[in-house]
Amino acid sequence: MTAIERLRRFLFATALAGIPLAHAGNGPVDLRAIDAVHGDAAAGKAKASVCSACHGPLGIAIVPTFPNLAGQKAEYLYWRLVMFKRAGKPESPMTAQAANLDDASMRDLAAYFASLPPAAGTAGTGTMPGAAIYRDGDPAAGVPPCQGCHGADARGRAGADGDPRLRVYPMLRGQHAAYIAQRIKDLAADASPFTSTSHVMAPIARTLDAASVDAIAHWLEAGAP
Amino acid sequence: MRTPRLLRPLPLAVAIATVVARAHADSGVGVDTWRANKLDPTGGATIDGCDERGTSWLEAGVHRSPTGNLYACPPPPPVTAGHGEWRTSGVLSIGAVATGGDDGNALWNRYVDWDGGIVLALLAFDAERAADGTYASVRASRVSDDDEYYQAVFGRAGSYKVQAFLRDMPNLVTNTAKPIWNGVGTDHLTLPAGYAAGASSPAAIAALSAATPERTLGVTREKQGLGFSVYLTPQWTAYANATDEQRHGARPFGGPFFFNFPFPDNGGVLETVKPIDDSTVNLEGGFRYAGRVWRMDFGYSGSFYRDRYTRYTYETPFALSPLVPNAVSAPLTTGQFATEPDNDYHNLKAAFTRKLPMNGELSITASGGRMSQDDTLIPPVACQGVFGIGLDGSLQTGPQNPYLYDCANWNTPAALSRKSADMRIDTSLLDARIVLQPATDLTVRGGLRYEREDYRNVYLAYNPLTGQYGYVSENGSQGSVVPGESGIWDPSDPSAITRVRSLPLDMQTTEANIGADWKLGARDTLGATLAFSRYEPTHRERSTVDDGSLKLSWTNRALDWLTLRANVTFLHQDGDRYDYDPYDFTYSIDLPGFVAPPTGVPAHTVDALRKYDVSSRNERKLDFMATFMPREDMTVSASLRGDWSDYDAELGRQGYDTLGATVQWEWQPAPGSNASVYYAYDRSKLRMANINEINDSGSNPSIGGNTYVDIGRWWADDTQRNHNAGVVFAHAFGRVRVDASWNYLYARGTTDYRFASPLALAWADTVIGDGPGGGTFAPMTYRIDSLSIGVRIPLHERVALRVFDVYERGRISDWHYLGFDATHAFDHRVYTDGGPQSYDANLVGLLLDVRL
Repeated sequence: MTAIERLRRFLFATALAGIPLAHAGNGPVDLRAIDAVHGDAAAGKAKASVCSACHGPLGIAIVPTFPNLAGQKAEYLYWRLVMFKRAGKPESPMTAQAANLDDASMRDLAAYFASLPPAAGTAGTGTMPGAAIYRDGDPAAGVPPCQGCHGADARGRAGADGDPRLRVYPMLRGQHAAYIAQRIKDLAADASPFTSTSHVMAPIARTLDAASVDAIAHWLEAGAP
Repeated sequence: MRTPRLLRPLPLAVAIATVVARAHADSGVGVDTWRANKLDPTGGATIDGCDERGTSWLEAGVHRSPTGNLYACPPPPPVTAGHGEWRTSGVLSIGAVATGGDDGNALWNRYVDWDGGIVLALLAFDAERAADGTYASVRASRVSDDDEYYQAVFGRAGSYKVQAFLRDMPNLVTNTAKPIWNGVGTDHLTLPAGYAAGASSPAAIAALSAATPERTLGVTREKQGLGFSVYLTPQWTAYANATDEQRHGARPFGGPFFFNFPFPDNGGVLETVKPIDDSTVNLEGGFRYAGRVWRMDFGYSGSFYRDRYTRYTYETPFALSPLVPNAVSAPLTTGQFATEPDNDYHNLKAAFTRKLPMNGELSITASGGRMSQDDTLIPPVACQGVFGIGLDGSLQTGPQNPYLYDCANWNTPAALSRKSADMRIDTSLLDARIVLQPATDLTVRGGLRYEREDYRNVYLAYNPLTGQYGYVSENGSQGSVVPGESGIWDPSDPSAITRVRSLPLDMQTTEANIGADWKLGARDTLGATLAFSRYEPTHRERSTVDDGSLKLSWTNRALDWLTLRANVTFLHQDGDRYDYDPYDFTYSIDLPGFVAPPTGVPAHTVDALRKYDVSSRNERKLDFMATFMPREDMTVSASLRGDWSDYDAELGRQGYDTLGATVQWEWQPAPGSNASVYYAYDRSKLRMANINEINDSGSNPSIGGNTYVDIGRWWADDTQRNHNAGVVFAHAFGRVRVDASWNYLYARGTTDYRFASPLALAWADTVIGDGPGGGTFAPMTYRIDSLSIGVRIPLHERVALRVFDVYERGRISDWHYLGFDATHAFDHRVYTDGGPQSYDANLVGLLLDVRL
């Protein structure tokens, strides 16, 4: 075999082997092109009894460190369950709960909680400190407006009703402030977010200081705007 | 002499080394921030490839600009390595290129120097320290000694930024030059031994030209720069940038020794070679403020041009002879040209912008500048002995030979009314703009602008040694052929007409505009802009020129897959009375003691001529653009534009029309895979008319008078047609990326002409007959086909091999250069440049891309 022939064989062999490039490693789960999540809400209700212990019988959590699930987007709920099932941290109570759920059950649960009426919240006003950050962000600190993804009324991203791809951004209106604050803190510390939406939110969470997080969380809990 | 490369940045470094202490980067300022070359015009983007994850984590799929066009695929993030607090990334692309075919052709090498052999396509290295945002990067590329760049940047995000670069760029002008002189590239061109200046025969010079080997002429630009910016506070930024560009080389230039076509074996039309050896230093610096309500900018910019040479001289090969019998011409051996004068430019600017209610903004900018030059003036001639004509058959100056001049009185700076130029132009500008949004669907805007250019000095061509006025024309040659046409006026020749004074062209410009954009619901936007401009030049044919224009625009997005945009503009230009000859005061006509000839002062020009920049005209412009999106990953766009101008001119430019159309199809089926096809066509037609002076001593400026007789009229239409087409394809077959493109450019220009009689032409001898006629010059054509193909094969996680080939075929036809096969010299005409040539050339390259 000539040197040229050896070189040619080497080039073609390596080219066809498709050696992965370093940057083509495992990234976040891409939720940008997902299909709608369909589930049986009635079946989900039957499976939700264990959930109610923390999230309340109607999806409104009594303990404020647990999130309200009522009225949340089904796509968001489903992919949160997928995350707990595939990559949940051992210390999270949800990890063990999700471990035994099959895909259909996760879809049913998501459909059920999405069908419930959301928490009304208390009376929020536009003059609360969190209102301005939610609406305008804080350009000096690199904080974008929250409403860009979560909607001007905090009920989810604009256009979500007609596009399942936009329903992976959660409704925040009426959510417990303590849960929101903890969730933002967790996102800020998450070095390898599981989904593309967490991948977007994680660096934003890092730009928020404690006072801003507190202001936003309390304003959302109040049911603003 | 060229400065060694390593020492070149030193003067600049010293100039600004003291200013980098504490600081912040202002991304709005920089020093020539884009570095690239012909090997990689994208500056490294082709190495980066494409991030298959797409443009945004918020939404999948390809993304479009607001006008509906697809954005290009973004490059992937760099692969980084950790070194303590630092993360680094980099790429080295190195390999070899080889050229073949007509690879010496000037068009093929226009802005590149393909030496062949080893090339550094790109070295890029970046380091970042996330803890405090400190970063540093270097970039380098080297095709050859004259085609390379090196750049270094370091700084801290939100604090300061320092950057420095060094760049060499070739500019090849011709590869078919046959200069007959020695000393090309210097300020003194001499004829080779054996060829006597002022006494060589046309046959000998033609043979010399024929025997001279073809060579290249071009200029290399060497530029280096330093810059920094610093945040003094979160709102205030200070910045300073300095660049120095040095040009070295030579290019074809002129060399007049009077007409030759009408006077066989007389005069001299010489294409000489001008040396290029100069430097331009640009400086800028200032402070910027960016607050929530106010933005301000206080800045200085300056430019300083210095030429190594004040002039260059050249030997003329040919003898001159007088047009009158029994007279003799003085032998002239040397001509000269002044080079561009050393000059300085300073400008101070202050700009204020304030946010207003109704989502509005008001901006006011004021600036003042000064352009000045005070370079040493060169003497009127470079001759020795005498110049002009000895009417009595001798070369003895005196009353018997009034048109014979002593060179010693004209070849010295003492022959000038002052030794240096001492010229200055002051500029001033006041600009105000306002934008308001009184309702969500309505935006209104307005602007005012006032600008002046004031010339602060004039030059009077007066020779204190002789008491005469004027500037010796064409190195003394004209007065050595035609008695009395030396360009000199004195009381003893009181009717001579010659230029004696410089022409100040002060200008005042006042502009105002008002406009609005109105959104008619979500689908339509209408816009209208009314603009008025008044130009008030001095010493021009009109003292006031007014422009009024109305522009209407419409944008429609009634259909999700279609965007339509249309603009139409109506413009009318008019002014006060047109004075066809405002230049008398710059001629000897204005001197005390001037005596009009018995036949009257010859007409300076014809009174029906209208210069197009101050002529009355009506102009209509139409732009129509449509962008279709037949699929999410596909775009088809088409545009049509036209511009029709009619000038109110019986002579001069009468009309200028342009029409263009484009159509493009673009498809991005997947990240990294794209295909596009485009075609563009445009044509322009310039219509002009003029009249030759039949009797050049006539004083009647009107058509049909004793100067401009009807039989001297001529008309010409210049038509240009351009076709531009291309196909681009790129696709990843597994890990192997293939890209290919074909580009086609065809430009064709024709000039049609007609004339009332052969007397309308500069050289009537070429026409048979004496009646009206016409014809068409041979088409000027320029056709370039360029085909490129490249394959990028990953060999390893960090290593890829790139193989590419570029083939280009050029077919050029330019009648200006016909007949140069044997020699570039004909009678007393000597041309240096052989003109652009057709070519077939190929470049093949192999590069190894290594991620560091």
